[in-house]
Amino acid sequence: MTYLKLAWRNIWRNRRRTLITISAIVFAVLAAIVMQSMNRGSYEVMIDRMVNFNTGHLQIQDYRYDGEASLDNAFHYDETLRGRILNADPRITRVVPRVETFMLAANDVSTRGAAVFGVDPEKEQAFNQIGNYLADGRFPEAGEQTAVMGKGLADRLQLGVGDTLALIGQGRFGMSASGLFEIAGIIDHPIRDMNNSAVYLPIQAAQELLSAEDHITGLLISVQQERHTGAVAASVRNELEAEELVIFTWPELMPELLELMEMDLAMPRLLTLVLYVVIGFGFFGTVLTMTMERLREFGVLLSVGMKRISLSFVVFIETLIISAMAVAFGITLSWVLLKLIDPISLSGDAAQAVIDMGFEPIIPMSFAPDQFFIQGFYVFLIAMAVFLFPLVKILKLNILEAARS
Amino acid sequence: MKTLIALSWRNIWRHPARSSVLLAAIIVGLWAGVVAVGMVNGLMQQRIDYLIESEITHAQVHHPEFLAEGYSWLDIPDHDEIVSWLENDERVVSFSSRTITDGMVQSPVKTSGVRIRGIDMASETRTTNFHENLVEGEYLDSEIRNAAIIGERLASEHNMEVGNRVVLTFEDINNELISASFNIVGLFRSASVDYDERNVFVRADDFIDLLSDQPVYHEIGIMLSDEEFAAPLVDELNSAFPGIKAQTWRQLSPELSMLVELGGVMVILITMIIMLALAFGILNTMLMALFERMREIGMLLSIGMSRRRVFGMIMLEAFILTIAGAVVGMSLATLSINYFSDAGLNLEMFAEGAAQLGWDHIIYPTLSIAEYAVILAVVVMITLLASVYPAIKGIRINPLEAARDA
Repeated sequence: MTYLKLAWRNIWRNRRRTLITISAIVFAVLAAIVMQSMNRGSYEVMIDRMVNFNTGHLQIQDYRYDGEASLDNAFHYDETLRGRILNADPRITRVVPRVETFMLAANDVSTRGAAVFGVDPEKEQAFNQIGNYLADGRFPEAGEQTAVMGKGLADRLQLGVGDTLALIGQGRFGMSASGLFEIAGIIDHPIRDMNNSAVYLPIQAAQELLSAEDHITGLLISVQQERHTGAVAASVRNELEAEELVIFTWPELMPELLELMEMDLAMPRLLTLVLYVVIGFGFFGTVLTMTMERLREFGVLLSVGMKRISLSFVVFIETLIISAMAVAFGITLSWVLLKLIDPISLSGDAAQAVIDMGFEPIIPMSFAPDQFFIQGFYVFLIAMAVFLFPLVKILKLNILEAARS
Repeated sequence: MKTLIALSWRNIWRHPARSSVLLAAIIVGLWAGVVAVGMVNGLMQQRIDYLIESEITHAQVHHPEFLAEGYSWLDIPDHDEIVSWLENDERVVSFSSRTITDGMVQSPVKTSGVRIRGIDMASETRTTNFHENLVEGEYLDSEIRNAAIIGERLASEHNMEVGNRVVLTFEDINNELISASFNIVGLFRSASVDYDERNVFVRADDFIDLLSDQPVYHEIGIMLSDEEFAAPLVDELNSAFPGIKAQTWRQLSPELSMLVELGGVMVILITMIIMLALAFGILNTMLMALFERMREIGMLLSIGMSRRRVFGMIMLEAFILTIAGAVVGMSLATLSINYFSDAGLNLEMFAEGAAQLGWDHIIYPTLSIAEYAVILAVVVMITLLASVYPAIKGIRINPLEAARDA
């Protein structure tokens, strides 16, 4: 208890010194968290873009569909199934049904291959804001017999809003499928391949065309936060145990993408390490000069009979209190700072390049709570390691020299 | 002035511990800045080189509407003249003509849309290293008739493997629908899954026979001796041959362009954070050092040294240390960049868990002289700026109080 009191008084005896030490740690926490948040933010936005346009965080399919992606392996989907899945886990935000197949799209003279998506217009819009990419016309309402197509495909077939699009292909179990659809809208799809091949139909129209009433090929699920993917997958898997359905997470559906992203994450990790080294050295400089300044004080205390081990202990408690306060303050401050700078807007060529790809020209910040604690903890460890220096110095101090200095 | 220099010089040596810590901070800061920028540069450069060398090449020539439409009758006019123009240009290292059209691949499982690329083995191998992407089977030099190599991903979607047959359907130059059966002789895996899903490679000769009764080419990929030549070469081609459209890799691949631009922004942001951390570390060390020296400075002021000279003395000390740190830091940084640019840095150890990294997990950092100079200038500026505040604090000392302290 006496030690604690001593340490507490020492901290406030020389406020200026304490403030500098604290500010050094606060700034280190700030730098580490901002760097991490920026990296994580750009990583998360990349995943969101990929996931929303491709697979969803999770996807439910018939267990045969993965081996053979054909309409024959579509599964029955109704409100009961939807309700069961939504209730399986509170972190599920959206459940989006899709019928997906390949057909021929034609005008009166030529044909092109097309990826046909039967979608629920309202749910699809909420899921990936597809309607925001409309270049012309509108997105059809549920139940309509109209189509929306990618601009690239429409240009190739020389079709526009109001024209008629013919779709020819094969439906479920070998039924022939062909239909004429008025084009309600043209979409400038941000993914180029989709722009050149996608045709969207309201889901009922697609199911009717493909003789697949009440059947879908995939059910896309979004969850609140990407990091909940695994946990939500487990709950849904549990709920659907008895069915002939399987649930995939996005890394399972796009393993190569994950591989590439791991690579993108490895680099920032290396740079974070570099940052720690810089932080460590800056901090060491501060602590070293602080120790020099206090050598005389230590010498006096030792010469009046304080045990070295007690003095070390007092200094250790001081550093513990200072580091803890500083880290806590640093975390708070970085949260405020991140709120202020989020998102970083790009400008010039960089912004143009991102807009060309159909994305918003921003680098968003991540607010994942674990990064605050993890980075705070790492800096705390660095601080404690650096603070070993004064302790060692005390244990080895030559009293006579110190008191003379 | 001479006295001031002598004074500063002695001050530095009087406190070897403090001076060496400052020195170390500057050295580490420089080293960190150079290594960080070098690494990110290396990563970006490798990705760009990979895409350029494996597929896109520095510049490409097409029929003006081919890239948007993809029809086989949009072939390059004056192909032979362009070829001889390219053969006589010194900047061109190699080039390859490709016969390309959009079509469909059909297997018993399903049908999907693909781009069929007919390539000439000899010139393609000279121009790109796409053949290195082959993961299974053999390349198109196989003896088998109508050989095709397809992406690993496309193969797994269609449940196909090497030795199976697929039917390719496409429109010939007369707008007639043609179907032909091809034998899969190999599978490839490139850096992009989408690419693997949507591209099928066949021999140009086989393909031309099906498309037309005379040779047609839709794309010429051109490799240059230096990336810098791409823009001027493209301009010259476009004015010499009005019926075509030549483009540089930047115009051809918005993805790559985005990668380059975003990478540039990230380098700046990350360097900024590291440099700020450095500045703060130095500022704090300087402040601490100043408080330790209060008594000494108070003494100097009371024996009549002017505040201006005290300020000059502190700044001179910082300046000498900065120069020394810059010299050592730069040498160290150059040494480590040189070392890693030969040996490479394996990023695998920074990957989470046992995840397998892709094709470019060994980074070879690169740094231009200009970038070295900028980092050096920034670090020197930062250190000097970070010493201004403590120096100002120093001359504001009340000599009486300072002398009484400690």
